[in-house]
Amino acid sequence: MAIESIIETDSESAFIQEMEKTRDALPSRIDANPENVEKGLAKLVLTLVELIRKLLEKQAMRRIESGSLSDEEIEKIGLTLLKLENKMKELKNVFGLRDEELNINLGPLGDLI
Amino acid sequence: MKIYAYGIVDSHNRLEEPIAGLEGKGIYNVFYRDIAVTVSELNEETKEMTDTGILEHEKVVERLMINFTVLPMRFLTVFNTKEDVLSMVEFYYEDFKNNLEKLRNKIEFGIKVIWPADTIKKRIIDAYHKTIRVSIPAESPEKIFVEEKFKKYTIDKEFQEEANRCITVVDDYFNKIAVEKRLKKLQTENLLLNAGYLLEKERQNDFKQAFEQLKNAPGDLRFLFSGPWPCYNFVTLTKKSVADDYFNTEGILDRLLKP
Repeated sequence: MAIESIIETDSESAFIQEMEKTRDALPSRIDANPENVEKGLAKLVLTLVELIRKLLEKQAMRRIESGSLSDEEIEKIGLTLLKLENKMKELKNVFGLRDEELNINLGPLGDLI
Repeated sequence: MKIYAYGIVDSHNRLEEPIAGLEGKGIYNVFYRDIAVTVSELNEETKEMTDTGILEHEKVVERLMINFTVLPMRFLTVFNTKEDVLSMVEFYYEDFKNNLEKLRNKIEFGIKVIWPADTIKKRIIDAYHKTIRVSIPAESPEKIFVEEKFKKYTIDKEFQEEANRCITVVDDYFNKIAVEKRLKKLQTENLLLNAGYLLEKERQNDFKQAFEQLKNAPGDLRFLFSGPWPCYNFVTLTKKSVADDYFNTEGILDRLLKP
């Protein structure tokens, strides 16, 4: 090559494997057609719900970590998070979506979740 | 005929020698004031291109780099007419000038680092069981659920912190040599770091030496070093339009590294 690029590694197959994974996570184009528009919309909505659920969960864990919650409050949070997670599982099943599909690539900002 | 674009160059001169582009078509410059877009013609029928095309695109950009400062464009950037090319370059002219100035005599190097994620996670889990900082009495399903969530949260947090510490160690080798960097952390659990470093051309030997030192340092990290490359990761546009995507070259180096 004109500027003589070098590629050097002693673990070629390991890097190929990891780079394939990152490529798989970023679809090159949105698959939108009349047959799957409902699933596409559900994917978008559920991704946002999942983001909010994860934020709630993280906030709850931070509060537990800081020791600011009583036993009763922890139990109440547990019940809320459990119900939310179960409802999400149910909705994912209805629309045939897997966990890893619930994400949006924001370009240079990385993945939403 | 459509027009295929390779990049923006800081020249208002014609190319001195013929360079073959995609589909074997000769490349030429479309001028706007004191800069130009380097293009070649493309058959109307061409709809898809394989990774062979990306190598040809890269070869043209590298060839241009010998004589010019280049803002590389995304693989498969196609315009319908010469007027479309000119209207794009007119819109971004100031941005292009600023980027050409920033990238003059610069090159890009890539460093990827794999770490043993499983071993590190196991070590963190073992440490978690030895020193549980918050005790949640698990006498109901709700509390058992919270306890599991809390364990996962603590382990993930420690995993992220360990990744940050490790990235700082790696980055320290190159930080003083590079003028700008793009660090992507944990794109997968094992891919600790995917970094792009922008540096002055004359400092490339310093960069290579720093990599040799890093490679020989004790530890169980594995590395992939690549470069010099055209500055794919360092073109930043301040004006916004649909054409921003023409310079979204993220991931192009990963595609070029594919064997």
